[in-house]
Amino acid sequence: MNMRILIISADNLGISIEQVPYQHFEYLKYPVLVGEKEYRETETFTASWLLERFIKEKITAKSSSLSRAEMTDLIEKNINNYDLIIHIVMGSNMSAATFNIAEEVREKYKGKVNIINVDTRQVVGGVGVILLRLIDIIKENEKEEEIRNRARELVVNTFSYYVTPDLNYLYRGGRIGKAKAFLGSVLRVLPVVGLMGDDPEGEVVPIGQERTYKQANSLIINSIMEKMNEKKADKITVSIISGDESNSEAINGLRQEFVSSVPVEKLVTGKLHLVEAIYMGPGGYGITVCMK
Amino acid sequence: MRREISEIKQLFDNISEYFWRHKEYVNRLNVFPVPDGDTGLNIALTIQGALSNIPGNLPDTILAGEYLKLISDNMLLNSRGCSGVILSLFFEGITEVLENNDFSRENILRAIEKGCITAYKGTDNPREGTMLTLMSELKKKYSEIMTTKENPLEIIIDCIPHLREVLDKTPDMLPILKQSGVVDSGGAGFLIILEGLEREFNSRKIPETLPLFAALRINSVVKNLLVKRFSHKKRSDTGTLVQNLGAGNITNARLHKIIHNVQQYLKNRTHSHNNRYRAREALIKDTKEFESSWNPDIRYRYCTELTVSSDKDIDSQALKEQIINYGDSLIISGRGNTFKIHIHTNKPDSVIKDISLFGNIISRKVDDMKKQHRNFISFDSIEYENEQSVFCIVSGEGFKKILQNLGADYVYDYGKRKPSVKKLVDLLNSLKSKNVIAAPDDRDILMTLKYAASLCKANVFIVESKDAISLISLLMGKTNKINNTNFLSRDRINNIKHFMISKAAKESSIDDIPIKKGDFFVICDNKIILTGRELKDVATKAINKLLNDESIITVYNGLHVKGNKLAAGLKNKFPGLEFEEYYGGQTQYLYYLTLE
Repeated sequence: MNMRILIISADNLGISIEQVPYQHFEYLKYPVLVGEKEYRETETFTASWLLERFIKEKITAKSSSLSRAEMTDLIEKNINNYDLIIHIVMGSNMSAATFNIAEEVREKYKGKVNIINVDTRQVVGGVGVILLRLIDIIKENEKEEEIRNRARELVVNTFSYYVTPDLNYLYRGGRIGKAKAFLGSVLRVLPVVGLMGDDPEGEVVPIGQERTYKQANSLIINSIMEKMNEKKADKITVSIISGDESNSEAINGLRQEFVSSVPVEKLVTGKLHLVEAIYMGPGGYGITVCMK
Repeated sequence: MRREISEIKQLFDNISEYFWRHKEYVNRLNVFPVPDGDTGLNIALTIQGALSNIPGNLPDTILAGEYLKLISDNMLLNSRGCSGVILSLFFEGITEVLENNDFSRENILRAIEKGCITAYKGTDNPREGTMLTLMSELKKKYSEIMTTKENPLEIIIDCIPHLREVLDKTPDMLPILKQSGVVDSGGAGFLIILEGLEREFNSRKIPETLPLFAALRINSVVKNLLVKRFSHKKRSDTGTLVQNLGAGNITNARLHKIIHNVQQYLKNRTHSHNNRYRAREALIKDTKEFESSWNPDIRYRYCTELTVSSDKDIDSQALKEQIINYGDSLIISGRGNTFKIHIHTNKPDSVIKDISLFGNIISRKVDDMKKQHRNFISFDSIEYENEQSVFCIVSGEGFKKILQNLGADYVYDYGKRKPSVKKLVDLLNSLKSKNVIAAPDDRDILMTLKYAASLCKANVFIVESKDAISLISLLMGKTNKINNTNFLSRDRINNIKHFMISKAAKESSIDDIPIKKGDFFVICDNKIILTGRELKDVATKAINKLLNDESIITVYNGLHVKGNKLAAGLKNKFPGLEFEEYYGGQTQYLYYLTLE
């Protein structure tokens, strides 16, 4: 008998929902607070809408964790239709609250339905890439333990790099981590920060700082090549994500250089969601690589 | 975080803090295996490194055993020096047993036993009279007391008086300790950790220690007095001084004994000539032994530590065989695909190269123990507080700020007057760092810096940078976590294409290019490439000559630039390029221009 598996996640995937090649997929939308007003992503309230307001109105925005009620409702709605629910959650070090709620919900439904919470150690882009790879795995395999083990492998083999011209967006969002060292430079620099899946701390780490986008792209590609060498990687899934058009030249440069120098199995051009724009800020872009 | 975990965390934080306060006491005892005076610092950094690398947001579900294992894993990766590595091995063994979350007195005994086995096994040539002995004695004493008490923490604390006695006996087990008049530094460090636990119940004062330079000086005075008496056979003022010296103030056990014996010898005039001769000869031998114990011939100069990681399991035996002949004090710890290696060697580069055959080297450090030893025995010895610092020497307040922001630990702005050797020695010492990466903005400073490096107390790695831009280039490669492998790459200093503009103060001719007084001239790669009357024209020609596919031109204005908007003027000439302007404040050149 085929195991019925539901995958759930949220809208910080770094890819559009249409790009998820799995029928049994549900997702929640993170609340975004601008001032005292709460927004959820719609056709009107998009990443571009928020980035534009950042530039024109100098607003500040922050996100809030998903509520227990939302998560419970989602499980309740599907509990009778599935044997296993896999929840792909953003890194617990990025949002301990979200992961804790996911764990509480799992406990609550113990005995009624099996839930696997995957702590991705990732956010923007990284969550989506792990989701895409996990879908491939599920299509080949239906054993719960095997899925659980393979998910762990995916997490430690997934690496995200972000070029964020203004680190203050990360700082204000409370996600700056060890990249704080890059704040406050007199010289205008382009910080390259990352989320390394094999780092158990799961914090944003400084990768390097450069002056031009070309240099930043080279730094990212060299770093990825080093990681590939370290991990002896042969399967590479890549997602490139950007929020606005202001850096399309840099992003195209990254894509071209990447494809010409790195053996890529699957290349996805992602989509920035409303909640992700809070941290990326205008002009930011990122790339996630999964080496399993 | 659960209350139980918070309490463990607090306990370890307290022990770490307690140890930091007493690290200098441990440093001053450090004579074995090499008297480089850093045992205290190494243990302190090992504990601190383990604690600071524990993730902040641990799941609430984490149990005490898992938490201790997490500390242990981090301790292993962050361990430093022989004592730090042995301590981390001991803790690794303990936490392997406690991972089952059974904290009964019986299981704690099993844990201590496992800790001892792991520590002894991981040490290539385990010696008694060291930290290992105290670990083994803790196991024995715990097992003895265990039947009388329930609480394992209390049992451990009750073992402390016995361990103090054992520590006092370490000089009887390891001759070098006796010769040097000290107890084992690693053992003392281990005891301080346990006393950190005991402090929850009551406190104990750590004994004062005589600064080593003072002990060696007293010993030297006594030795000279005895040798002189051989040759001149007359009384001296020094003799009177030594006779009246309060030996009770000499905290070093061996020196205390020497002084006591010399005082007896000076008082006693009734023995025969032959007996006095023999007594004097024996005393001179004592002083020489004491001196040489603190001044040994350091056979292997570099304390080298690496962490190697691979995607496959590493064969630790093969790893050991590969490097064992490079030196001594070899300790290999870890398991699976990650190992930490500690070795004293004269060929750190060869060790690093050979270890890289087994996987990727994820961290490494190389300490010059001869240099540390010289610091340790000197009258103005420095207590190291940092493992590594980056020190830049630059002209210009603007560049000072830029370099500080890019991550330099200290930037010295020398303005117009290049620093003296003494100034650089003082600055290098003031960093209180074991290793310093030093980079000047002028080749003329290199000689001074090299001489200062030989005189200062730190191991100095000089980067032969030539100007302020190469310092920026160097620091752009520095991330929060300094990785020597990447950061020390000398290629980094030439990464930014740039040139300088200056104004001729007199008429001259350089490289067959005539320069009139008041002309602007462009220097690139140490050569004058252009001259001209108009600043903007000269800068434009230089950019055209050097421009390839760069997109940003940055102008760094010097101290003497007044109200000149060179960047704005150039922007009109090159509308496709981005221009930025900063204050450098340099005195040597009017402008630095970079093309990136």
